[in-house]
Amino acid sequence: MSEQTVTRTLDLAERFPGAVTPDERPGYEGYLVQPGRLLEVTTALRDELGFDYLSSVTGVDYLPEGKMEVVYHLYQSVGGSALVLKAQIPRDDPRAPSLVPVFPGAELQEREAYDLLGIRFEGHPDLRRILMWEGFEGHPLRKDWREPYYEEDAKPFKSRWPEGHVWRAEDKNPFHKNVSYPAGFNPETWVPEGDAALYAALGKVEQRGASTTMKTDQVIVNLGPQHPSTHGVFRMVVTLDGETVVALKPVMGYLHRNHEKIGERNTYLQNMPFTDRLDYFCSMSNNFGYALAVEKLMGVKPPERCEYIRVIMAELTRIVNHLLAIGFLLNDLGAYFTPLIYAFEERELILDVFEAVSGSRMMCNYFRFGGVARDFPEGVLERVRDLVYERLPRKIDELDLYLTNNDIIRMRAEGVGVLRPEQAIALSAVGPVLRGSGVPYDVRRADPYSIYERFDFDVAVRYHGDVYDRYLIRLDEIRQSLRILQQAVRDIPDGPIQEGKPQYQVRVPAGEAYGRVEGPKGELGYYVISNGKPNPWRYHVRAPSFINLTTLEPMALGNKIADVVIILGSIDIVLGEVDR
Amino acid sequence: MGDPVILVAKWLEQLLAGWGLSASQVNVVMTFIGVLVLAVFVLLLDIFMVWVERKVVARFQDRFGPNRLGPFGLIQPIADVIKLLIKENITPAGADRVVFNLAPIMALATVIMLWAVIPLSPTVFGSDVNVGVLYVVAIGAISTLGIIMAGWASNNKYALLGAFRAVAQVISYEVPMVISLMVPVILARTMGINSIVQAQSVWYIVMAPIAALIFLLSAIAELGRAPFDLPEGESEIVAGFHIEYTGMKFGMFYAGELLHALTMGGLFASLFLGGWRGPGAEAYPILGIIYFFIKAFFIYWVIAWVKYSLPRVRIDQMLNLNWKVLTPLALSVLIVTALLDKLLAGAPIVVYVLSLLAANLAILLTTSRLLRRYARSGRQRVAQPAPIATPERAVAISPKQNASA
Repeated sequence: MSEQTVTRTLDLAERFPGAVTPDERPGYEGYLVQPGRLLEVTTALRDELGFDYLSSVTGVDYLPEGKMEVVYHLYQSVGGSALVLKAQIPRDDPRAPSLVPVFPGAELQEREAYDLLGIRFEGHPDLRRILMWEGFEGHPLRKDWREPYYEEDAKPFKSRWPEGHVWRAEDKNPFHKNVSYPAGFNPETWVPEGDAALYAALGKVEQRGASTTMKTDQVIVNLGPQHPSTHGVFRMVVTLDGETVVALKPVMGYLHRNHEKIGERNTYLQNMPFTDRLDYFCSMSNNFGYALAVEKLMGVKPPERCEYIRVIMAELTRIVNHLLAIGFLLNDLGAYFTPLIYAFEERELILDVFEAVSGSRMMCNYFRFGGVARDFPEGVLERVRDLVYERLPRKIDELDLYLTNNDIIRMRAEGVGVLRPEQAIALSAVGPVLRGSGVPYDVRRADPYSIYERFDFDVAVRYHGDVYDRYLIRLDEIRQSLRILQQAVRDIPDGPIQEGKPQYQVRVPAGEAYGRVEGPKGELGYYVISNGKPNPWRYHVRAPSFINLTTLEPMALGNKIADVVIILGSIDIVLGEVDR
Repeated sequence: MGDPVILVAKWLEQLLAGWGLSASQVNVVMTFIGVLVLAVFVLLLDIFMVWVERKVVARFQDRFGPNRLGPFGLIQPIADVIKLLIKENITPAGADRVVFNLAPIMALATVIMLWAVIPLSPTVFGSDVNVGVLYVVAIGAISTLGIIMAGWASNNKYALLGAFRAVAQVISYEVPMVISLMVPVILARTMGINSIVQAQSVWYIVMAPIAALIFLLSAIAELGRAPFDLPEGESEIVAGFHIEYTGMKFGMFYAGELLHALTMGGLFASLFLGGWRGPGAEAYPILGIIYFFIKAFFIYWVIAWVKYSLPRVRIDQMLNLNWKVLTPLALSVLIVTALLDKLLAGAPIVVYVLSLLAANLAILLTTSRLLRRYARSGRQRVAQPAPIATPERAVAISPKQNASA
């Protein structure tokens, strides 16, 4: 990195005496904040120092020490690296002040931390479970919570291959024995509480559409979980006045499998294929973020050729994702499947490349710590070159020609679902949603990782903040990705693709690390804590499309039901990542 | 002679008379047979349409379409029908049983009823009603009823939303449709469709291109096909009014929609493209049937082309287009056509046709000028350009950084 001209440096411990102390644990960074003064500190940080962007909120359960920690990653929207704040709270009464009044974008993340760790955020407007269902017993990410079929805390399980015989865990440990029910609970007669709490949350805003002259009724419609426009099993509960949306609540978790708990049972390398399943369209960039986080902990740096391969894969993934995003957005607009299938054609060609290098088209599992799994087979680089110089630029222009100036598309998408830049930052929006609102924030430039500093490309920004801009920005980003790819395939050097020897079991020193990449859907972050054992102590995914969903409600209110569908399409969510 | 259909009919009449039936009885039986033959023919055509539709879509979408069953996948629709017939027949709880089951019948039957007045050739038509155009409009209104019934009786919010939309859409688009239908009526001075066809020594699309365009647009809207497929709104309200239908009841809606599209193609062909007219059609009426179906399928193809190329408009935009553009346009075309028709009475046919064409083009030009002026005002920017976020612009925090790095 070049020498920086640092204008101001700041020591928070001096600025907030008594409230903030540096985190002195080996391998840790950032500051410990007194929970009671968290709101005061973050407000000051936001207003005075420009840390206006709360990227990630999560909790960690330190069972041996009997405490919990809420971890905040703050950024400045003008760029720079993270400021990590931690609030330590007692484990038997985990309460922390909610940051929603300061950063509205914390809403869904705090609900998630409450759901999975049982941390109660005081002052949160709607603190309900989010990924688990209402009535679920316990908080699964706590270290003393055990799933049915629990065997051991960490893989590999000793029971799996005793002397060459295969056991099924469920035979060894039948279902009923280890399931604990709350007192007075009878599973046979239990009826789910249903959606009473959810509808109650909707009811708070229900009054605003009341008509004075004519008696009209508002209808609550559940868009989803089975609905063609939700791109999976996502559910929007909307209150409709005619066709106008007057209240909306997103409901998710139908695809929840507690990715993070499983990730904590896995070894570090076992998590690599598991990240593929988050955003199943973009397995390569999922791998990328996780590899960066663990490499930070291990202190290794991949060799030159590998860095180029990683960038090529990540940018190809971005093209794949944006092609699909545009195709599905057009689907939501009602151009049923025609544009989508043309977009799919190009995607298939890129997936051919993925298949050639990794052996799989979608679940690539290609990155390793300090390298990638294998080098390009013969002919693949030529194929990529052909794609990025010849075919894709032509096809993207074609897409642009047929779609961008279509009158119906412009009528439908312009001025719909407007998100203002200050709103976007406050709501922690990332990726195309943030940049479509005129905030030129791209992790590749704002906090460069890998070798992105070497490439010449522009950060795509649009300034109207509506659905149409979010469509255009994806086209822009495909073009910029092609620019990066053209430079990468030109400059890629020969050499090794793996730092050191490939290992099945990596040694990860104790500490914490937050690795983030600009994934196609936005900032994808992995927060990994190691205690020196073969398995991560905490493995948290900051999923871009999950947090982008915070913006759905403010964008959708007052629009027609048809607009809500395209607004959701323009956020571009993937449920594998939202629900984790 | 030279018309096998008439030949067969004559032979049947004689056969029946030979069995000792009176003339009126023969007439009843012949009408009954005629209805049966026409309906069966139309329904068989419908099965074929499924194949056509799927092939056409596939070609628009860069695919092959059905190609496994029979030559070019021709047997596929029969397999589809068999599948639909053996599917479970579900009536949702809380549905209004009678209305629910009546709706798909209405949807298909009204479409078949339209064929009663469409002349297939100079000699083959169901009935030459002298108010054929009026009949078409009336039956079109009944077909909406089927959609409303389905939406209401399903006891489903999506279905109800679909029915809302269908009512708003079909009823509004009937206005420009009726007005544009008046134009060929003025030109031919009759409301009988067969007479309109016979009057078209010059196709009316030349004399009334705007009316033809408006008719096509409102026909697409009445069909509920993209970009006006709001009652179904696949990505918004799932399937709209027919969301709760299964098996053959769904199949009837589907068949009704396809057949309706072809019927509209046939009507368009009859009203604006000269119906069965073509070289030799007068002498050999059987040729007329071929000409008619070529034209009808061409219009059907145009409708499919539009459907698979365009996204859907929103409900307020759909109504705006109707009330603010199509209806005034249709009215002005009607007035201009009527005036010119009176002024040019007795003028040579070439002058008559050319001045009507010129008047239409002038209206079109004015309209597009006006529309362009009032189209899209600029969008509001919500943000101003700012420098790209980079680490250099940040406030640095001094403490120790990640110790392990």
